[in-house]
Order: sequence, then structure tokens, then C-alpha cells
Amino acid sequence: MTQRTGVDRREFLAMAAAAKGAFVMGFWLPPRPASAQQRDGAVWYEDPEAPEINAWIVIDPDDTVTIRIAQTELGQGVWTSNAMMVSEELQCDWSRVRPEYASANRDAREMAPEWTLEVMGDGAQDPTGGGEPSFGNRAPTGVFGIPDSLYRRMRTNAAASVKDGRYYLQLAGAEARERLLLAAANEWDVPVRELSARDSIVTHAPSGRTTTYGAIAHLAAVTPHPNPEAITIKPPSEWTLMGTEQKNLDVPMKVTGETVYAIDVSLPGMKWAAVKTCPVYGGDVAAYDFEAIRDLPGVQSAVQLPIPDPALTRGRIFSGGVAVVADTWYEAKTALDRMPINWTVPPENAGFNTDNMRQALLDSLDARGTVRVDEGDVDAGFAAAAQIVEATYSTPYLPRARMEPGNATVLVTDERVDIWIGDQSPQETRFSASQITGIPEQQVHLHMCHLGGGFGRNGNGPQAEQAITIANANRGTPIHMLWTREEDFIGTTYRAMGMARLKAGLDEDGWPLALEVRIAMQDDGFGPTASFGGASRYHAPHYRFSNHETDFHVPVGTRRGVSQAAHEFYRETFIDELARAAGRDPYLYRRELIARTDIPYKDDMIRALDMAAEMSGWGTPLPAGTARAIGLEERGAETGRSATISAMVHTVSISPDGRVRLERVDVAHETGFGLVNPLSVRKQIEGQITWFYNDAMHQACTIANGRIVENNFDTFSLSRIDEDPPEINIRFFETDHWLIGMGHDRATSVQSGIGDAIFQITGKRFRDLPFSQHDLSWG
Amino acid sequence: MAFDLEVNGVRHSVDADPQTPLLWIIRDRIGLSGTKFSCGIGSCGACTVHIDGQAVRSCSVAAEAAAGRAITTIEGVSSDGSHPVQLAFKELDAPQCGYCQSGMIMTALALLNAIPEPTDADIDAWVTNACRCSTYYRVRQAIHLAADLMRAER
Ligand code: FES
Ligand code: FES
Repeated sequence: MTQRTGVDRREFLAMAAAAKGAFVMGFWLPPRPASAQQRDGAVWYEDPEAPEINAWIVIDPDDTVTIRIAQTELGQGVWTSNAMMVSEELQCDWSRVRPEYASANRDAREMAPEWTLEVMGDGAQDPTGGGEPSFGNRAPTGVFGIPDSLYRRMRTNAAASVKDGRYYLQLAGAEARERLLLAAANEWDVPVRELSARDSIVTHAPSGRTTTYGAIAHLAAVTPHPNPEAITIKPPSEWTLMGTEQKNLDVPMKVTGETVYAIDVSLPGMKWAAVKTCPVYGGDVAAYDFEAIRDLPGVQSAVQLPIPDPALTRGRIFSGGVAVVADTWYEAKTALDRMPINWTVPPENAGFNTDNMRQALLDSLDARGTVRVDEGDVDAGFAAAAQIVEATYSTPYLPRARMEPGNATVLVTDERVDIWIGDQSPQETRFSASQITGIPEQQVHLHMCHLGGGFGRNGNGPQAEQAITIANANRGTPIHMLWTREEDFIGTTYRAMGMARLKAGLDEDGWPLALEVRIAMQDDGFGPTASFGGASRYHAPHYRFSNHETDFHVPVGTRRGVSQAAHEFYRETFIDELARAAGRDPYLYRRELIARTDIPYKDDMIRALDMAAEMSGWGTPLPAGTARAIGLEERGAETGRSATISAMVHTVSISPDGRVRLERVDVAHETGFGLVNPLSVRKQIEGQITWFYNDAMHQACTIANGRIVENNFDTFSLSRIDEDPPEINIRFFETDHWLIGMGHDRATSVQSGIGDAIFQITGKRFRDLPFSQHDLSWG
Repeated sequence: MAFDLEVNGVRHSVDADPQTPLLWIIRDRIGLSGTKFSCGIGSCGACTVHIDGQAVRSCSVAAEAAAGRAITTIEGVSSDGSHPVQLAFKELDAPQCGYCQSGMIMTALALLNAIPEPTDADIDAWVTNACRCSTYYRVRQAIHLAADLMRAER
């Protein structure tokens, strides 16, 4: 019945790649020339045609430099910044660089070169060194820490791709460069120290001889370096490519529609699967009636999906479900919609709703909780205070809602597993594939695609596990599983719903004597101590901080900004409230309270505030209905190691009928010792301003009878261009430590900023996000 | 049931349920995957194509309704990214993940065809596509740049 009306070039090439990769198709096609690869839009790993210099670098005779990228491009620019880190040291011609995904399969079979294993230098304060990875230096698997397998860390998370990979990516480029030089020196029989390399050309100055990388790459590939441990990396003062604004290498294919996302993968003989899982987490299928849909067009079969093994989903409990397999996805989805399914739902989970969860969080705030910091005598501080200020805040469950719905194509045979996927954790997916199919990880091949958004390990949900399960039940047939948008809201993890109660005792001049912070969220929520742990960022002689836990059924995970985004809303809003109670300017109040602490990097925080205030024209008059608010954003300062610090001023207008517009954002952001690609940093800041604008104004997922209520973009709204700030000014200032990263926790102050602007303009203080649920009219 | 669709100037005979959303015919039957699925309810615009020059959300149009009309997808804008709108999006480095960008470009193109020198208010009114990466700041600048490039071409 379904007849293909034509096979396009991309599909043909995907078929070719699949045939080449899987050896099950019964035909063979010659490998594509490297130059053809970028045009067809697929960027997954292929065995090289030229010998590789090291696991990151292949140089073709025509000087095309292929750089393997072990992180996943999800719009954050890693495709370009990782390539820049390698190229900086390789000294190759940047215009001939072609990134390609690293092979997670080889990562299962090969160990990392010895010279990548030790972080060089002296931590975050050493400009010549590698900095400190976030996740520890060594760990045996890809699930925790940085493993010793070939590509080390293949995860893309925690905004840490630069921080955790830079030292060994720079080293990979340097090692290859040194071997290219050695190969040329051997060829010419001259001392290697007389050679220099630049733009893929090796020059012997005394004789004037030159050669290209392409011409000697085959020799370099078999020329070992005698002493790779002695190779060092360039400090920022010597960078020539890193630190410059480079357009992203994936962009040209994204304006033509050529990029092959996972959803675009099409293989010969492939069938599509649509999935429905129990909308109440922890629920399972009681019965389903495949006979009712068996004869619908295109329908092939149904596969029951068990509740995914929590060991494969980091302990989270998702739901069981059913997949329908059909010739096309629309047929599969249409049939599935018509198939009767009965669910078994754990009654305690079905009993949850937003109101009783909020009450449980409030109750936990009243209990003692786990005290994390207790400095001085907070109760004595309160007793001595001239004024007490107390406020309770809340933030809702929030999903990532990336634009590409969860999907993966999987082919399982008795020998191997092939997976075409956009994935922020390929090492973990490889492990899952092996566990589900019984096929060793060394026989699992991931064909990585760019992701249509990620925002936190693309959901932490069971997209791969479900697709593998369906394909395992259909061995020999490639299965492309695709979620509906509604299913994507079930198959994701959420940032935990949270509440906070902050209480301060102020002296006669309005300065805090005592500060108490209570944070409530479910016990498996991520980052409970963010923004408040270690020490208070704003001075209070007596400081207590505690976590208060509850037990809810919604699976929670690492959504962009993690808990820091919620916690900075609580903290910065409360500081605004204190400044108002003290009758002081919120910028100068913050400045003074930071100056009174002895927290590491406090001078950088003050510089950020000063710069943002100055950029914004702080204190100059504004039209009626318009206000400015300032906020501090910091991550990790309390450690005294790496940190990321910025400050923003938000200029907000509100019409008398309550329409909010973020008019202008002035951003002061530190560079640390150096930013790899400042253009990507700008784009990430711009994007995060809108991200947290959405968190502030619009987005919430509520729970009714245990289910997520808002599950598509009609009810879970995404702001459009008409709400975007027309003016964003970003300035960088230099600081003397390595950054943690900035891809997920900048612009959190949009939330407190809009809240304080609402207060200034309307006189109303709202403490429950999102603000759009409140009456913002005035006048 | 077979029906004919003209996509990017090429006529395709399609044998499918004519009520199937145009999006899925374009992607799965005709094999053009630049047009994206995201919400399936006409809300996000990732699936935007042109029918007779008008931007429409192809997830919410029955394929049959497009029969006999000229359908243009992102692949039909140019084969090499050389259209002024594409050049402008590249110059501003607008895409992040890129998933919404085919639809964004098709909407921008429809706007520029209707209003060659759009104001910010025109952009606000026309560009109702969602971008989760929030590339709006650069998309707005790219549309203005594209207008300049197209004026220079005229
Ligand atoms: S997929 Fe068509 S509008 Fe969202
Ligand atoms: S660029 Fe990612 S959704 Fe728009």
C-alpha cells in the first residue's frame, strides 16, 4: 500500500551508512569521500579513509582535518568549541576543519592514551594548566566521573564541556602537531626544533622548505612521540584561535534543512513505532487490545514496554507502556490512538496533585530538616533584630521541552546493536543497549546525530531504552521509535517543584543580623545546596541553611540550571525584599553585603554588579510603568576553585492592564582566564535570558491525579519573538580563574528581576512562579 | 488512494490516506526531512511550509488540501544555502540546535515576500514560531539583514 515516491539523496546516504555499518543489508556501497559527508547532513562517526594521527584527528591528503567530537551538539556550540580547542594546538587551517562525532563503540573497546589521564597544572588558578574537571578525574564507567576509556567524558552536561575536556583536547591537538613535525623532520633529516607549523603547513626556516599536513599525515600516523608526557598546552596568552568569535560550523547545514537529526534517519526496511506509556508515573499496562487495530493501514505489531529498569534510568521510575509498529509513524500513531489500553496505576501516585504536594512542601518547611550550615546563633540574631522579614517562595515542576521529540532508530541483530540517536550520554546508552539485548557493549554502535535541543541530558528519559526494547523484539528490522509531544512530556524528567522560606533579622540600619534559609523539594531533587551551601553570598553574622525533603513520584533530573535557577530566584528576590525593607538601593545593598563577606571571588561579584549597573544607566529616570532590577548570578564561588559569575540589570515595562515586557538586559559576565568561543557565549546568554523569562512568566507543569497536566505547547507555553527583549548588551570582564561553564545557569536573575519590577510598578510582590498566574494590572 | 502533490516544483504521486497531515507526506513519503515535527497541533511552527506562497503549518493541513497547489519546503528555498534569508541567518549565526530553523526561515521568507521592509512590529506579528533555544534576538536581526540583501538584489 505505501509506495515510496522517490528516494532522496540523504536517505540513500543514510542507507549506505547503515549498510556499511551493519553488514546486514546484503549489499555494499563504497564509503563516501570525506568531502561529500558534510553536504549530506549526517555527521556520525565513520571509519576513516586516511590513517588517523590520534583518536581525535584524521588529516586527508587534501588537508581536510577531521576532528572527532565526543560531546553532543545541541545548540550550545560544542561542535565548534571542541574543534577550536584541538585546532588551536594542532595549528591547522581552520577553514578546512570538519567535525565528526567520536565513536562510542571505539570508546568501549579502546583505552584513552596515557597522556590524557592526568590533569596538567595547578587547578583553577593556573592559566597554563588544565583546570579541574567537575566530575572527578578518574572513574571506571561513563556514568560517574570521567572514565579512562578512549574519549574520556562523552557526556554533555553541567555546562562542563570546556572545563572538563579542554586539557586533553588541547593535548590531543598538541600531540598530533608534534608528531607531524617529527615526521617532517625525519623526512628532511633536520632537527625538529628547526621546524614550525602554522595553518597546516610545516616550514623549515633555514632551508625554506615547506610541506603540508596532508602530505605527511600518513607518516605522522606511524611516527610515535618519544615523550608525550612532556607536551604542554598553550596558556590563554598564546591562543590565536581560541578566544576569537567563530561562527558555528554546524550552522550552514541548519539553514538548508540538510542536518540529519535523529528524527530524520531512514533505513531500508525500517518500521516506525509510536508509544504510549501510563500517564501516571510508576503505572503499567494492565491490558491492551491489539486485535482492535491489527487491520488498520500499515500496522505490523505491538510491543509491550515494561517499566524501564531503574538501574538504566539512574533510579528514576517511569511507566510501562505499549508501542505499535507500522510502516509509517503516522500510521503507528493513528492506530495506537485507537487501541484500547487499560492501566494499572499505583493509588498513592494517582493521589498526588499540585495542591497536596504544595502542602507537603510547606509542612516539610516547618519541620527541622537537614541543617547544612549553622554559623553563629541565628535565633539570638533574630531576637536582637529591629525588624524581621520573612517570605515563602515557590517554583513549579518544569520540563525541558526541547523541540525535537524523543526518538531513536535501533537495529538489533544477534551480533550487534546499531543506534541512531541524538544523545547527551552515549556511554550510558551503550550500557543500556547491552543490558537490554545481552549483546556486549563492544558490539554496540551509536551513530550520533545533532540534537534538536537538549537542556539537560536530553531529558534523562527512557527514549533509548524504549527504542532498544522494541527493536530487540523485532531483531533484524530497524525500528524508528518517535514520541508524540505529549509522550515527550511523560518521558522526560522534571526540575523538582520547590519551595523556600527565607527569614532575616535586620538591625536598625537595615543590615541582616541573622539569615535563615529553608529549601524544600523532593528527596531525589538535584542540587539541594545550590546557591546557599558553604556560606551565605550576602553577609549575615548568623546564618543557617537547611534542606527539607518530601517524597513525590515525579521523576526529577538535571534540567537546565538545575536547582540553582530556582534557588537564585529565591535568594535574589529576598535580597530585593530586604533592600526595600531597609529603604536602600538594591544594587548598593547587594554590593555592601557582598563586600562584608569573606567569600572567594567576592571582588569579581562586585565588579559584575558595578559593570551591569553602569551599563544600564542605573539610577537614571525611566518612563512611568518601567523599572530596573539587578541580580547576581554565581556558581561555585564558595569552593574557592573555579566559578562562574555574572550580573544583569533588567529593564522591564508593565502596561496598566498587566502586560509585561522585558525591554532591555545589560549583562556583565566574567571571562575567567579565557572564553573559547565568545560568540557561542553570547548566543548562550541570549538564549538563557529567554529561557528564564519563560520560567518567570509562563511555564509550569501542574499535577492532577498523579499526571502531568500541561503536555503540549498550547498549555505549556513558549514565548515567541514578540516577547523577546529588543535590546541585549553583553560585556565581558577578565578574572583570574577558570570558569565552571556558562551554558545553563546564566540569566537566572530574569526571574527575580521581573518580580522586583512588578513590585516597583504595581506595588504587588508575588512569590510564586510563574508570574502570569497573577493579576499584574495597576493604575 | 493516490493523489498528486507538487513539491518544490516536482510532481509526486502519493498513495496514502489523503487525510494524512501534509507534514508526514512530505517527510515520510516524499523523503524531504528538512521540515520538522515538534508539537503536531499547529502551535510551534517547526513544520512550516509554503502553499502557494503562504506560510502554513503542515502538521495541521490534510495532504489532500494541498493537492494541485505549489508546495515549497526548506529544500526548495535554495539547494546551497544561497538565498538571502539563508545568508542572513548564517551571517548572524542565528541557529542554535537548529531544529526550529527550517520553519523559522519559511516564515521569515513569507513575511519578506509580503512586506519587503518589515518593521519590528511586522516581525512580531508574523513570526509566531517557537524556538526553545531562544534564537529570537538573532532571528530578528537576520530578518532585517535579509530585507537589506533582498533590496540590494532587486
Ligand atoms: S509541528 Fe506543526 S506547528 Fe508544531
Ligand atoms: S534553534 Fe533550537 S529550537 Fe530554535
